[in-house]
Amino acid sequence: MSGPTILHARTVNHRLAPTEVRERAHLDEHQAVALMQAVAAQPGGVAVIPVSTCNRTEIYLEVEEDTDPTTLLRAALEAAGAETEVFFSEHALALDDLDAVRHLFRVASALESMMLGEPQISGQLKNAYRLARRHQEPGPILLRAFQGAFRTGKRVRTETHISKGAVSVAFAAVELARKFFTNLCSHTALLVGAGETGALAARHFLQQDIGHLLVVNRSPERARDLADTLREEKRRGKLGEARDLPQVPADSPEKCGLVAPRPWEDLAEAVAEADVILSTTGATEPVILPEMVEQAVAGRKGRPLFLLDIAVPRDVHPDVAGIKGVYLFGLEDLNEIIKGNLDSRRQQVPHAERIIKQELAEFHQWMADVDMRPTVAEFRAYLEDLKDKQVGFVAKKESPEVAAAVDRSLQQFIKKVLGRSVSTLKQARTAEERQQALDTLHRIFGEEPRDDRF
Amino acid sequence: MLAAVTVLRIMLPLLYLATLGMYLWLFFTDHPTARVRCTQMAVVTVIVHTLALVTQTAYLERLPLESPLEFFSSLALALMVTYLVIEQSIRAKNTGFIVVGTAFLLQFLASSFCHTKISNNPLLQQPGFAAHAGLAILAYTALSLSFLYAVLYLILARQLERRSFGLLFRRLPSLEVLERMSIGAIKLALPLLFVALALGHLWMYHLRDAQPALASMLTPWDPKILMTWVIFLGYAGGLAGYRFLGWRGRRMNLLAVFAFLAVLGATGLAHHFFPTFHKFRTASEVIDPRAPRPQATIPDPEGHSGGWGS
Repeated sequence: MSGPTILHARTVNHRLAPTEVRERAHLDEHQAVALMQAVAAQPGGVAVIPVSTCNRTEIYLEVEEDTDPTTLLRAALEAAGAETEVFFSEHALALDDLDAVRHLFRVASALESMMLGEPQISGQLKNAYRLARRHQEPGPILLRAFQGAFRTGKRVRTETHISKGAVSVAFAAVELARKFFTNLCSHTALLVGAGETGALAARHFLQQDIGHLLVVNRSPERARDLADTLREEKRRGKLGEARDLPQVPADSPEKCGLVAPRPWEDLAEAVAEADVILSTTGATEPVILPEMVEQAVAGRKGRPLFLLDIAVPRDVHPDVAGIKGVYLFGLEDLNEIIKGNLDSRRQQVPHAERIIKQELAEFHQWMADVDMRPTVAEFRAYLEDLKDKQVGFVAKKESPEVAAAVDRSLQQFIKKVLGRSVSTLKQARTAEERQQALDTLHRIFGEEPRDDRF
Repeated sequence: MLAAVTVLRIMLPLLYLATLGMYLWLFFTDHPTARVRCTQMAVVTVIVHTLALVTQTAYLERLPLESPLEFFSSLALALMVTYLVIEQSIRAKNTGFIVVGTAFLLQFLASSFCHTKISNNPLLQQPGFAAHAGLAILAYTALSLSFLYAVLYLILARQLERRSFGLLFRRLPSLEVLERMSIGAIKLALPLLFVALALGHLWMYHLRDAQPALASMLTPWDPKILMTWVIFLGYAGGLAGYRFLGWRGRRMNLLAVFAFLAVLGATGLAHHFFPTFHKFRTASEVIDPRAPRPQATIPDPEGHSGGWGS
């Protein structure tokens, strides 16, 4: 890399492209690495960071100023064996310089995500960045842009509530349970049914440190298998991320997350043990009956019993809702919570955009400083050169002490002149004004004219 | 000294208002800065209020408990102190605006309408009485907080029953936390009430020699004292049910609500039927007529006495 560089971005995302197009645009790790190598091999190519998730594939490319990024990217994609045309079709969006950075900041802040405020995008961007750093040396703009994106994303997540509140059924189930029991570690959950939805919700409960999880299923083998799988996942810490819920530290985490299968015949007994019941069977008739729940409630001495029936048709008999101390919820309640949370997240967007604007202004300032550096360096070199000549002249005529004093004095003079010039350049109101000033400075003190004038 | 008393009297409602603003900010936005700042602000308010009460006590040479308005100020401080203790132990702050709002109202009334009046009330100059009254105020304040959290529990439980997932659902802590706050307040109140009662009895016996005139008015069989013991035992019984019999949930919180309503009712009845005891103005008229002190009153153009009455 010899001169200044520019940033170019291409995105194929859920807003622009249907799933089948996004699938074609997807770059796996192997293709991403091949693309990095291909960009590095192209004349004028500096570095590239591809980001590919299920909802988007984005390519952030840094090239030398006088290189056409579109041509270079097309050639590099072809060389990497990736689907090329999709990035140049009507489903793709091309962005340059600050627009590209603004887009990256919005992506990092999850404003561009399909599920507004989802936390996974931050990890996905970091993974893409780490992969890129392993295989190439990103240029200064890409480095700074990604670092700025991580900072922006973090600020948006911590200073706003854009990631707050559950927006999936499984998380909403945990969030609702949390309205009853803050510290889940001292409570028992019962999962009735070993289907996919139930398993997902169970994973979230385990991730949130539920004390005991009982699994009951008509088929004891499936209950046992699911319990074993969950136990193993818990042990290996691979239950998945549940970061959109506040993590409440358990009193004794080592005692939490005990998973046990129970036979179907023990359902009533398991209901009596549980504080949280999650039912997701495929049964056509209710399996949790009023007498079962009444018996359970009798032993609870007023403690609330939280029942969540997300099965269709319902697993819990409708009369259960009338039993004192029982709080029965269904899928429509979870959807209502999700809707409320999404509304709250949308209200946070202006706040998030203010943060992005601040970070973008900082990035813009940095870019301007970067632009200024070569000219300022030339100016400094010119002044230093002038000073050396002057000091040399004095040294011939005067004592070394006098020459040293003149040298110190001129050094101070250069410092002041440079300081004043840089601060004047920084005060430029527009990019054009600044560029004009830089051009003038360059014209007067740049490499070419200097020798002519002296 | 008077200048300091006046400045602090003006400052206090403003500080309470600022603290209330912080807690409201937290309730409506759950902003991380508000989460930190509200407690800091509450601590500053408590410190300044304590300083104000100490200054006022030093200036008046008695406890500022002679009139209901003076009492309001002490009550506001007691509310804040007990709330902060509970907040720190349970780590739930979203309900603070209710307590701070009540404290602000009490302090606003006290600062706006109470006149700093030097009066000769030997009862309020007794250190034994000061400890007894201070602890009793704290204990009853903690019981009122227990009532408040029990009511919030019942409101949230009702909202959950009705599947109403609005602001209260999002902002109030869980039922479990509300119950712990209510029970925590009772746990705090009972030892305070016990020590207050014990100190009251000790002080009463001490007065037999020191102030026979006053002591003649006091008896351990006074209905108010007996009522307080009944309150103490009632709450202790409820707490035992919670601890040993596993009483939880709506039942326990309804009990806390009814218990406090019973306290209010019994106190009202006792004040109505047995008006002399625990009436500090009455006591001041009865005891120690030997040392009359000059009445230096801060301007009270309407001539309000501001006293409890007799």
